[in-house]
Amino acid sequence: MTLQQDRSGWLTARGVGKRFAIAGREVRALAGLDLDIASGEFIAILGASGCGKSTLLRLFAGLETPDEGEVRHAGARISGPSLARGIVFQEHRLFPWLTVAQNVEAALLNAPGSKPAKRQTATELIALVGLSGFEGAYPHQLSGGMAQRAAIARGLVNRPDTLLLDEPFGALDALTRAHLQRELRRIWQRQRTTTLLVTHDVDEALLLGERVVVMTPRPGRIARIFALPPELPRDHADPDFARLRGKILATLDAGPAVPAAGLTEHAA
Amino acid sequence: MSLALSLPEAAPPRSVRWPRWPVALLLPALLLAAWQIASQRGWIAPGILPAPGEVWLTLRELWESGDLASHAAWSMGRVVQGFLLGAAGGLLLGTAMALSPRFEAYVRPSFLAIAQVPVIGWVPLLMLPLGIEEVLKLVILTKAALVPVTLNTRDGLRAVPQRWVEVALAFRYSRAQLLRHVVLPAAVPPVFTGLRYGLTSCWKALVAVELLASSEGLGYLLVWGRQMFQMDLVIAGILVIAAIGFAFDAVLARIEARLQRWRAA
Amino acid sequence: MSAADRLRGLVLPLLLLAAWQGAVTAGYGDPRLLPPPVEVLRRAWQLLVAEDLPLALAISLGRCLAGFALGALLGLGFGLLCGLSRAADRLLGPAFHALKNVAVFAWIPLIAMWFGFGEASRIAFVTLAVLTPVALNVWEGVAGVPKPLLEVGAAFRFGGWQRLARIRLPAALPAILTGLQLGLIHAWLATVGAEYFLAKGTGLGGVLIEGRDKFDMALVLLGILLLGGIGLLLNQLLTRLAARLAPWRAA
Repeated sequence: MTLQQDRSGWLTARGVGKRFAIAGREVRALAGLDLDIASGEFIAILGASGCGKSTLLRLFAGLETPDEGEVRHAGARISGPSLARGIVFQEHRLFPWLTVAQNVEAALLNAPGSKPAKRQTATELIALVGLSGFEGAYPHQLSGGMAQRAAIARGLVNRPDTLLLDEPFGALDALTRAHLQRELRRIWQRQRTTTLLVTHDVDEALLLGERVVVMTPRPGRIARIFALPPELPRDHADPDFARLRGKILATLDAGPAVPAAGLTEHAA
Repeated sequence: MSLALSLPEAAPPRSVRWPRWPVALLLPALLLAAWQIASQRGWIAPGILPAPGEVWLTLRELWESGDLASHAAWSMGRVVQGFLLGAAGGLLLGTAMALSPRFEAYVRPSFLAIAQVPVIGWVPLLMLPLGIEEVLKLVILTKAALVPVTLNTRDGLRAVPQRWVEVALAFRYSRAQLLRHVVLPAAVPPVFTGLRYGLTSCWKALVAVELLASSEGLGYLLVWGRQMFQMDLVIAGILVIAAIGFAFDAVLARIEARLQRWRAA
Repeated sequence: MSAADRLRGLVLPLLLLAAWQGAVTAGYGDPRLLPPPVEVLRRAWQLLVAEDLPLALAISLGRCLAGFALGALLGLGFGLLCGLSRAADRLLGPAFHALKNVAVFAWIPLIAMWFGFGEASRIAFVTLAVLTPVALNVWEGVAGVPKPLLEVGAAFRFGGWQRLARIRLPAALPAILTGLQLGLIHAWLATVGAEYFLAKGTGLGGVLIEGRDKFDMALVLLGILLLGGIGLLLNQLLTRLAARLAPWRAA
């Protein structure tokens, strides 16, 4: 377990609170949230819409700043976006005036390296997500799934040590989604990039995560954290998988756990 | 998703699909024929509406004598000058207003006040100090182009979607990089739309100023025709004005479509 | 807009005013062309309280509204016809699109020859200027109703009239309002334009001509101010009305 401890504390949130003003009323998106993500871990953050999970991701991305508490990455306080943390949004957000290759290269604008080296990296990443041959295509020529692959390539092209995924498959059809989920797992197993996936899909969280963080809304808090046993088959039909899904759904329904939130439970 | 996109659009419920062009030309052709017959039979006085054949003859005469080319050249020369000046000024002003809220605060009220008063108001005012020569026309046409170009440039640069700006932030673009790689490309279509409006508005203003004060140009052709009670000349002039206006717009629409081809089919 | 921004907006006009006063005081320019600002203000006040100017304004506004009503009615009819009937679209569309390229002032000589220089001619010009934007927007609004919305109607077995009244017209309302708004602006400009070009010295256009001919800078400036101000007012009136009628219209 010493290894586990050495890796922990890669991404941390301490006492994080965030408020928004919506139609003149103040809404607490997050309150008193603590989270500790280990290096190389794949963590899935699960919750209904409006539970603050995307806000949490945007705090880690550095696109928002917390009103209370702090978020840290590799020990340093996050004060803005960094190339060490790649991000993929729910909509692909490719620049429509650039080709796939240009879009991926656009993420390297402020990375060190020569132009040919950057082109080479971009080509590799496009191959990694299975888009070889579509380098010259414009976003509007791609299907939704292809565009999201390109966005994943763009998120990974800086070789970030952390990848932030904000419901990246939410807008895709079921078949494409299942396919991209397998691909994402393959990529993570190969690269072991610390990955934080925000989703409202219980199965997606169970298929991909090592730990599943269940959040409940108003204000956004962590209800429970499920550490998935390493031997859990990532298969919808498996009884253990199904039992775990039931437990998580019950947690989502029940709302916040009465005692202090954020306790890790070893399921199984 | 790709599946849905590749499906052909369901055919409209109506069963008969007439080919477009013959139908489009049907009514004008019928009208033209009726007009020609009515004129020949003397049902319409030539002072009210000359026969199409006569208008055609007038057009040919104007063309062969070189009058048409020289009047059109005057008009187009004025428009091009005014448009270039106005567009350049509008691009600068619009960009400055978009980039600096402070500059905009100083300039916008005055600009809007100027924009609010139409050509027809500026002509009598400017005539007093500027006379009725080319300078007046140039100022009027410049203003006509400047207003839409400025407004569209400003709005186009300002309205770049937040979702793209966030991507740029995530990749740590500097302000200059954000401008060059995101804001400018995203603003190309609206800015170009502004240029297109500018040219159209220039052409409209040109006809107005040429009607008011000129001794050459297509607007003058109309005035001359009216004074001589040459209806055929007036109608020929209107046709040429429409054709050039249409050509200007068609060319810019073409370029606009090319610039926007990434905007999804 | 902050209070500071509002003050900043005043800087340029005040500078202009100061430069004007400065030029007058220093004796630059023809005093007829460049009367002192105070003098202009005094003249403007005189003109406003005299009977002529309010009468001219009333005449212009009356013309504007008459032409607008006529043009809007014709434009609505034509736009609906072409937007709803494919046959009408095919038959009339190309001719209409060709004619709309004629810069509107180019019609003036033709209208003058057909209707003379009287009231009929001015109303005809305003009507024509209103007709084009109204017809175009109504047409596009009605024809461009999103197919998914129409399919909802089909799914609930709406009849032809129901589809028109419950789907097409409400969906097209924002576009129709835009058309009417544009139409009203065009009506106002065309009114003054008609008075200017087809003039026998009445209305606000007549005021501008009189000012120009008499070298009366105060009169011209006042005329321009009224021209711009009333245009702004009419536009805001319709914007308010449109916001009331179609509150779902995207901001």
